[in-house]
Amino acid sequence: MSIVVNSAFYSVKDLEIVKDISIEITPGELLTVLGPNGSGKSTLLKLISGDIIPTKGEIFIDSEPLKTISIKRRALKRSVMSQSQQIMYDFSVKDIIRMGWLNDLKNKNNFNFLNILKDVSSECKISHLLNRSINNLSGGEQRRVHFARALIQLKNDLNNQDNKYMLLDEPTANLDISYELNLIKILKKEVSNGIGVFLILHDLNLALNFSDKIALLKEGRLVEFGQPKRIFNDKTLSKIYDTPISVDLNSKRVNYY
Amino acid sequence: MMSNLINYSLSFQFINKRQLSIILSLLLIFFVTLSVAISIGSFKLSILDYFAGNLSQLHQKVLLHIRAPRVLLAALVGASLSLSGACLQGLFRNPLADPGLIGVSSGAALGAALTIVLGAKIIPSYLFGPYILPFSAIVGSATVIILLFAFTKGFGVKSMIYMLLVGIAVNAFSGVGIGILTYISSESELRSLTFWTMGSFGGVTWDLILPAALTIFFAFLWTFRISRKLDLLQLGESEAYSLGVNIKRLRFDIIISSAIIVGISVSLSGMIGFVGLIVPHLARLFGGVNHNYLLPASILTGAIIMIFADLLSRVLIQPAELPVGLITSAIGSPFFLWLIFNMRKK
Repeated sequence: MSIVVNSAFYSVKDLEIVKDISIEITPGELLTVLGPNGSGKSTLLKLISGDIIPTKGEIFIDSEPLKTISIKRRALKRSVMSQSQQIMYDFSVKDIIRMGWLNDLKNKNNFNFLNILKDVSSECKISHLLNRSINNLSGGEQRRVHFARALIQLKNDLNNQDNKYMLLDEPTANLDISYELNLIKILKKEVSNGIGVFLILHDLNLALNFSDKIALLKEGRLVEFGQPKRIFNDKTLSKIYDTPISVDLNSKRVNYY
Repeated sequence: MMSNLINYSLSFQFINKRQLSIILSLLLIFFVTLSVAISIGSFKLSILDYFAGNLSQLHQKVLLHIRAPRVLLAALVGASLSLSGACLQGLFRNPLADPGLIGVSSGAALGAALTIVLGAKIIPSYLFGPYILPFSAIVGSATVIILLFAFTKGFGVKSMIYMLLVGIAVNAFSGVGIGILTYISSESELRSLTFWTMGSFGGVTWDLILPAALTIFFAFLWTFRISRKLDLLQLGESEAYSLGVNIKRLRFDIIISSAIIVGISVSLSGMIGFVGLIVPHLARLFGGVNHNYLLPASILTGAIIMIFADLLSRVLIQPAELPVGLITSAIGSPFFLWLIFNMRKK
């Protein structure tokens, strides 16, 4: 059981953005997606979330074709954190996180929310922000709030038996190093609880140290896919980024300047 | 029954106790305003006297067949425009959306005007009877909303200015259309055409109000179903989608319900500006931004404000009457400036 992308293509007009990518997101594993700007990482994420439909190829969630899963059921199976947009009206941080609490859409009475909110917000270190307006927070703080929302989306008790996945597009953007590490730590904990994570990053060192699998993308193609130790080497990385890069697998460090 | 209502409202936990008490107070104010407005006018007719049986036959007739439908229509139109303003501001994620400003009302007016001048020659009257007017107004407003959506789609927050510009164009176009229709219209058609440009609640009868009220009421219920989804939509379309919201369906629901309530309102009262813009902002100032609160609060606030505006239009220069659209625009345009000024500061 996993999310399987089977030879997916995506093009807009004549421009092919994703070319023949096959990839698998396994529960209990952290998959990091790396690649230069414009290599198709975010597009791949949108294909997997179902936000856009592949022009060719197919995507399966736990062996069910994505297109046959209803929008509501998709929300129960995976949460998505994309590059966030400005919010026009003054919702509080608590309101925003609550939007991830799917039990609400079912109008089911639930008393768990406040407990889970307490846990998640202290984990994400945003407890002191809960009553602030989302628009008055800094960019990094807003990212942490949206991360908490994506986290809480998978804590619903509506279908506990299914596998769950998180799809994250650069969740560490604008975060300082302590929050960055904290976020990765939370992700590792969720992964050890059986969640499958698809994580877009730019930091090669974070990827090398914390990923279970890594996918390297360039110009819309999947160049390498596998364990970090196997695919991280000077030649591959230097070629992907067109920059001299050296990898030290013993100390788990990537140097490029 | 009241406690049932409270429990029901609190079971949607995103409306808090404070918001619930605001809504209940607005409900109270609404009924008070309603009875006061029915009582005041060129005849003083107390509603209490009516129930006590102290009114003459003539006065009873004035109250029941002139005053009451008029005040109810004002409430209905105020509520409709405000609800549609709140929904459109949510759908477009844009605080400047207002059925008047962005051309939805003038689309409805053009639809209605087309029917008045040309309709009788094309559509036999037995097909729709008196309901051809509301129907063509609905078609007009739906066309404009779909047009707006097609034009502003994918422009994100920047679409704010874009949408207003499209609104200006649509308003101008409808202006031209109504102008041409005015030019070719006959004397009697002309009289009913001028009515669209300024708005009035006068001369309405029960047989037009009742079906309108019923339709609008169902449209209200329809919109309440989607209020939580409108909240989620504020995160952005793809975020709302990933939280389980069927965006296409939501869009369809809002466009159709807004078109219906604005179309019916405009067909019964002409174009009345700025109410749909201001009222949702007022409601947000009172109590918060979540749509489970915002939609009912906008409906009630809109009804109250419109009853007041209509009252002013009846009593300010008695025995003559000011067009009610003039009053709402006079109050609304400074507010609009204030809103733009505030947004610039952000």
